[in-house]
Parts: sequence; structure tokens; C-alpha cells
Amino acid sequence: MIGSGTRALLFAPMGLLLAAFLMTVVGLVHSSAARGLAVYVELLGDPGIRTVLVRTVIIATITTAACAVLGYPLALFLSRSRNRNLWLILVISPWLVSIVVRTFGWMVLLGSRGLVNTTLQAVGATPSPIRILFTPTAVVLGLTHVFLPFMVIAILSSLLQLDRRLEEASRILGATRWQTFRAVTLPLSVPGLIGGCSLVLLMATGAIVTPLLLGGLRDRMLGTQIYTEVFQVFNFERASAMAVILLATALILVIPLRLVEGRMRRRLGAAR
Amino acid sequence: MRTSLPVRILAALVLVFLPAPLIIVIGASFSPGAVLSFPPPGFSLRWYGEVLGDHGWVMAFVASAGIAAGAAVVTTIAALGAALALEHASPRTRSIAETMILAPLLFPHAALGIAFLSWLVALHANGTMIGVFVSHVILCAPFAYRPIAVSLHQIDRSVAEAAEILGASPWRTITTVLIPMLRPGLAAALMFSFIISFDEVTVTMFLVGPEFSTLPVKIYGHLADSADPVVAAISTILIAMTGGMILLLDRVVGLGIFVDIEEDARGNA
Repeated sequence: MIGSGTRALLFAPMGLLLAAFLMTVVGLVHSSAARGLAVYVELLGDPGIRTVLVRTVIIATITTAACAVLGYPLALFLSRSRNRNLWLILVISPWLVSIVVRTFGWMVLLGSRGLVNTTLQAVGATPSPIRILFTPTAVVLGLTHVFLPFMVIAILSSLLQLDRRLEEASRILGATRWQTFRAVTLPLSVPGLIGGCSLVLLMATGAIVTPLLLGGLRDRMLGTQIYTEVFQVFNFERASAMAVILLATALILVIPLRLVEGRMRRRLGAAR
Repeated sequence: MRTSLPVRILAALVLVFLPAPLIIVIGASFSPGAVLSFPPPGFSLRWYGEVLGDHGWVMAFVASAGIAAGAAVVTTIAALGAALALEHASPRTRSIAETMILAPLLFPHAALGIAFLSWLVALHANGTMIGVFVSHVILCAPFAYRPIAVSLHQIDRSVAEAAEILGASPWRTITTVLIPMLRPGLAAALMFSFIISFDEVTVTMFLVGPEFSTLPVKIYGHLADSADPVVAAISTILIAMTGGMILLLDRVVGLGIFVDIEEDARGNA
């Protein structure tokens, strides 16, 4: 057994990091409240900021839904594939390449001379290049691509824990594939799905690089607004307050999901 | 039970979608022309020459690699200590400590960026390498902690107990028994932290200054002005680095560690 003194010594470096992290969070709230709550009243009373807030929530929600719809079939396929490791490389490599590089790839793909537009023109779908880049559609597409691997891994881990005999039992008892999926596979993998959703929702609300590069100047999100507030307007107080609002928004969206997820996991655990 | 045809078709489409932008970037980097286009009209290494001849790009690369290597070592040591310290702690203490260690994952990156900036401004360390380094260490800690904690749950405890019964001191048990057995988790923690730090841009873009920038932030700055094949070439170098790390990770630990980490985190939630 390791003594308590040794344990404290072992934990010290991490404790230092935790303290530093706590300080930054306190510092953030402190620098936003230099004039009390005045800045929050101003921000939340500003229709422009309210629009940005609503847009951020909508874009993050659509991105999350798109990740769930695209990620589930892939996770299902991976959970049953014999060459899982090989396919996993295709999921994990894009995940770990810098966001800025992946977003750049979408700039090349979606630009007026990009592959998407040249293909559309070649097949005669459109006479002149259509505008995809610098629209909210491009932002959703880019964010979906950036966060999809998180969703796939979260769902996959849930599917791999699932007892396959339950599915076999369902099939033997005469259920169709679809019925088995609806009644057995899907309900048992919902915790992973919700976990993935909360992760993507959280990250999408705080994104900066992808909305700045793929979105137009008109369609700002909270993250891009914070960035411009710091580096173009140099208003630290407003930027900090926006960051606190962003944090609160993200937590309001994510905490209910986490609670539902925890409750479902406990229920599944009890049923086992 | 095999998956049905529609599921396989959808999965195949997504498996094409995921690497697509990377393949486009790699292809465009070999273009001989000054305009970015895919498919490239010819083949040339011209833009790679340009990148390697540019002091700014090389310095940014060196800075990013240095910060990532340093952050990986520091966070892995801190995470190993924490995981060993919490192993025999009461479930309550442990759950509180783990929640705190993983807390940075719950913060949107845009909020973290400005939080670190306000702190570094107060210390007059904004726009410096040390400021970015410390921020990366804090950011990477949860990523280093999880693989080590997973490894610790998986190893056979009786070996460490045997060492203790045979009279080994706690330190000796840690250094001669536990650390060698935790090698896969430690390797995953090192590589994971390195990749996270090396590729980080959202938080770091708040912390760099006119004299100092990391590679991804410099790429971002370049893209905001113009997207040319130089960026494609440097991006391809970055993709190759990350790809190399992933293959190494697959060799040393196996990519299943990503799924294990997820299972473990959910299991304890």
C-alpha cells in the first residue's frame, strides 16, 4: 500500500494543474464582471448578440443531429466488421489531424473552382458556380466533418458492450432485422448515442476556426464573435462576458443530456 | 449477424466523406500552378521547396513540435502520479478528483481561449512560448489521464501485491512493477497529448503574438488572407506527421485504446 504522504506527493503535479485551471476560470468570470453585471445586461439586451446566440444553438443542434444520423450506421458497421482496426484508421486519422487543415480541405472542395462546383457544372446541374462557401450550410458541413469521429467512437463503444446474444434471441424468436434493431440494438446503444451528442453539442457551440473560415461575415457564431471582440474591437470585458454566456449555454444544453445518459446507464446496468 | 445493405452503403459513404478533405489537400499540394485546384493540373514539388525555404514556417513547425513534446512529457508524468495516487483512494474522493481532472473537457474551447488569455495578460506572458506551453499542459492533462487510468484498471493487481509482500518499498513497486506494466497506457498518453498539443488551434489562436506562433495558428492566419498551394504543402506535412503518430500508436498500443477509453469513461460516469 502506498502511504498517504506518498499519495499526496504523487498527486501534487496534477493538483497544481487543477489549481491553475481553476484560477483561469475564476479569472474569466472576474474580468467579465469589472462593472458588476452591467455588461451582461447590455449583451443580453443587444438584439444582434441574441441573434448570434440563437444561431449558435441552431447550428450546433443541426450539426449534432447530422453527426448522429451519419455516425450511427458507421458505428454499427464497425461494431460488426472483421477488419475493424483497418476501418478505424479511416475514422481516427481525420479526427486527429488539425481542425484548421480539415477546414482548409473544405475550402478547396467547396470553393467556386472546387471539386463540388466543377462536378455540378460538368453534369450540367448548374450553369455557373453556386455559392456554398461562406454560407451557414458550409459551416454545418465543416463542423459535422470535424466532430463526426467523436460521435462514431462514442456509439461504437456502446455497441461493443452490447450482449450479441440478445439480438440473436430476438431473431430466433421471429423478429425481423428491423424489429430487432428497433427493440434491442437501438435502445441498448442509446447511452452511447446521447454521450456522443452531448460531446458534439458542447464542441460545436464553442467552435471558432471552422465558422470563421467557412462561414460568411454576416453569419457569426458566439465563438467567432468572442474572437473578433478580442482582436478587432479589443474589448476584453465584453469578450469575457460572452465567454461566460457561451459556457452557460453549453452547460444548459449538455447537463440534461448527461443526466439522462447516467440514468439510462444505471437502468441498463441494473437490468444486466 | 451481418449488417444489412443500406447500413453498409451509408457506412461506406461516410468512410469516403471522412478522409475526403485530407486527400484533396494532399493532391492540391503537388499542383504546379499558383492557384489551388483539384485535381491538380500537373505534378510539382515547388511548394514544398517554398515551405522549407521559408524561415517563418520552419520556426513555427519547430515551436509546435517542441511545445507538443514538452507538454506530452509533463502531462504524462502528472497523469501517472494522479492515477497512482487515486488508485486506492475511496470511491468518493476518486470520483470527485476524476471529475475535476476531466473538467477542461466540459469547457467550450472559445471560452477556454479567452480564459487563458486573461490570465496570461495579467502575468505579461501573452504571445510567449511559455504561455502557450503552460496552457497546452492544462488542456492535455485529461487526455493523458484517461489512457493511464484505463491501463491501471486492466493490469493484474496481484503482481504489485506480490512485490509488496516480498518487501519492495512503494517507490520500488511503482518503478519496477507498475510503470513497466503500464507501458501501453503511458505510450498512448504521450502520443495522445503530443497530437492534441501539436494540432491545437482554437485555444492557441488567442495566445500567440506577433513574435511567436504555432504551426496550426500560422496556417489559420495564412488561410484568413489567402488559400494558396503553400498552405496545402505545409498542411500535407502536418497530415503526414499526424498519420505517422497514428500508425505508431496502432503498432505500440492498438487503436482499440480509443474505444476502451470511451467505455471506461462512460462506465465510471
